[in-house]
Amino acid sequence: MNTPPRAPRSLQTRLLLAVLTLGLVAWASAAVLAWHEAQDEVGDLLDAHLAQTAALLRLQPLDELDEDKLNEAPELDKHQPRVVFQLWHEGQLLARSANAPQEPLTERRKRGFADSVAAGKAWRVFVTQGREKDVLILVGERQSVRDEIVLASLTSMLKPMAWVLPLLALGIWWAVRGSVRPLRRLGQAVAARQPQSLEPLSTAGVPPEVLPLVTALNGLFERTAHLLASEQQFTADAAHELRTPIAGIRMQAQVAQGATQHAERAQALAATVQGCDRATRLVEQLLQLARLDAETASTGAPQTDLAEIARAVAADLQPTAAARGQRVELDLPGPAALPLAEPLARVLLRNLLDNALRYSPEGARVRLQVTPATPGNAAALCVEDSGPGLEPAEIARLGERFFRVLGTGQSGSGLGWSIVQRIARLHGLQVQIDRSPTLGGLRVRIGG
Amino acid sequence: MRILLAEDDELLGSGLRAGLAQHGFQVDWVRDGVAAERELATGAYQAAVLDLGLPRQDGMDVLQHARARRIATPVLVLTARDAVPARIAGLDAGADDYLVKPVDLHELAARLRALVRRAHGQSETRLTAGNVVLDPAAHQVLREGQPVELSNREYDLLHALLLNAGRVLSREQLEQRLYQWGSEINSNAVEVHIYHLRRKLGSALIETVRGVGYRITRDTA
Repeated sequence: MNTPPRAPRSLQTRLLLAVLTLGLVAWASAAVLAWHEAQDEVGDLLDAHLAQTAALLRLQPLDELDEDKLNEAPELDKHQPRVVFQLWHEGQLLARSANAPQEPLTERRKRGFADSVAAGKAWRVFVTQGREKDVLILVGERQSVRDEIVLASLTSMLKPMAWVLPLLALGIWWAVRGSVRPLRRLGQAVAARQPQSLEPLSTAGVPPEVLPLVTALNGLFERTAHLLASEQQFTADAAHELRTPIAGIRMQAQVAQGATQHAERAQALAATVQGCDRATRLVEQLLQLARLDAETASTGAPQTDLAEIARAVAADLQPTAAARGQRVELDLPGPAALPLAEPLARVLLRNLLDNALRYSPEGARVRLQVTPATPGNAAALCVEDSGPGLEPAEIARLGERFFRVLGTGQSGSGLGWSIVQRIARLHGLQVQIDRSPTLGGLRVRIGG
Repeated sequence: MRILLAEDDELLGSGLRAGLAQHGFQVDWVRDGVAAERELATGAYQAAVLDLGLPRQDGMDVLQHARARRIATPVLVLTARDAVPARIAGLDAGADDYLVKPVDLHELAARLRALVRRAHGQSETRLTAGNVVLDPAAHQVLREGQPVELSNREYDLLHALLLNAGRVLSREQLEQRLYQWGSEINSNAVEVHIYHLRRKLGSALIETVRGVGYRITRDTA
């Protein structure tokens, strides 16, 4: 069973959670530290208080310490009733405060402080000797009381902080929200766009952290716009280019309709069929080109033996050549591999050979040569003909879509070259065009 | 009617030539812009069909050059560019009409007839002189309401004279209008056709202006 992937938390939530958690931890650590500090400080203070009480008791003559007087002693502060004392002489309890237990507060006999348990309670006790050396004064205080004091002082300190904490959270939320606003605004700007709108996003007021994103997006928009424009141009060109053969077909068909002579009608119908063939070829080439355009630069195309494909393509075009008395010569000394997918290699070779035949006069020679790779030289293919060749200016314009050498009387679409060059470029192959030294016409060499 | 056709596409060009011939036009076909400009300059054509995408010289340039040289031959521009700005540019450059490929043969022929008629200041589609009526759309001539059989040459000759009613056309002008390239012209061909026309339509219709040429009097009725 698939569990749906958890949606990633928003930046705002993440920041908010992180800052609040850290704030809370810091606050809690501060509280713990403060607790320890307060315990120490308050402990010292209370200890001093115990010692002072002991000192007062020591000054008091023993016989004056009867219980009535002790009970009448004025309360110095609200904690005082919790302070107890005992006077011991040789194991005998001489006197004690009313709130003191019967048993000794501590077993300690030497002067100083002790933590002890007596009568089931925890005590902090100060031990000292009386004016008579054999009298022991114990002044104690319940631990729980001391803790209460510490807690009370801590509470008074931490309570305002607890109030501030939600305010702090609110402030952080506000600050974080403000900081991610440029991102949110960018998202809205992109979302609100029409699909056709590809103008760059404004970089004004964009913080440096977001700027690379905006720049990258603008780059993408630019490339997309460029691609779109070239696609539109191509479609317009293609439509334009298809109109002429269609106009020809229509006109010839109407001539056939209106013909009164059999010969005239037959001629017009033959021309109509020829026009259909031409339009078909044009459409096929347009589709080939469109597919090539959609293809991204192929990485690691398989090696294909061009010699074998050359033989097949030449056989395909043999009837065309024979119809015009042209001769196709094959020069295939052995297998020659180029990094081209097989269907593309076929398209490439067919277009090259077809162009050579199409633009060469009747009875021309066309040579198709595939050179196997030798150490230091990649495999290459070469198509040359005995046709008129091309002027350097015309060679420069070859491969522009729909560029056609004029005055050839041929009904080419001007797309064959676009296809050849596109395939070569996609596969990193070099295309060289010049005059054939042996046949005198055009020579096209393609190699790795 | 003699028409100049400038079109570089073999298929469309041959179709246009054959189709317009079926509609009674004499068509001279050139395949590039330089030839088109040269032929247009002769002034021998009643109208021209001009493709814009011509080799050697763009059709638009041909048109502009011709208009700059005050050649008034009506020009119908034929093109694959159908965007409105392209049409506007074509008409502004001096085109009299504009058709986007693919075109209908009958529409093209009708538009050419209309162009020729307008170029001669005629608003009536049918040309009349006395009791003779010529209907270019039907390629028909009536005398007192009855159809008269005319050869193509006779028809073209009558058409030319009627279009230019009231004006004298020389024998050379008429020859130029009647014959496309490669036709053999006898030195007295025009006289022979005139003779036949007079026989079929009455001798009063076509007036001989001695030493100058022929004329049909403008119909004042």
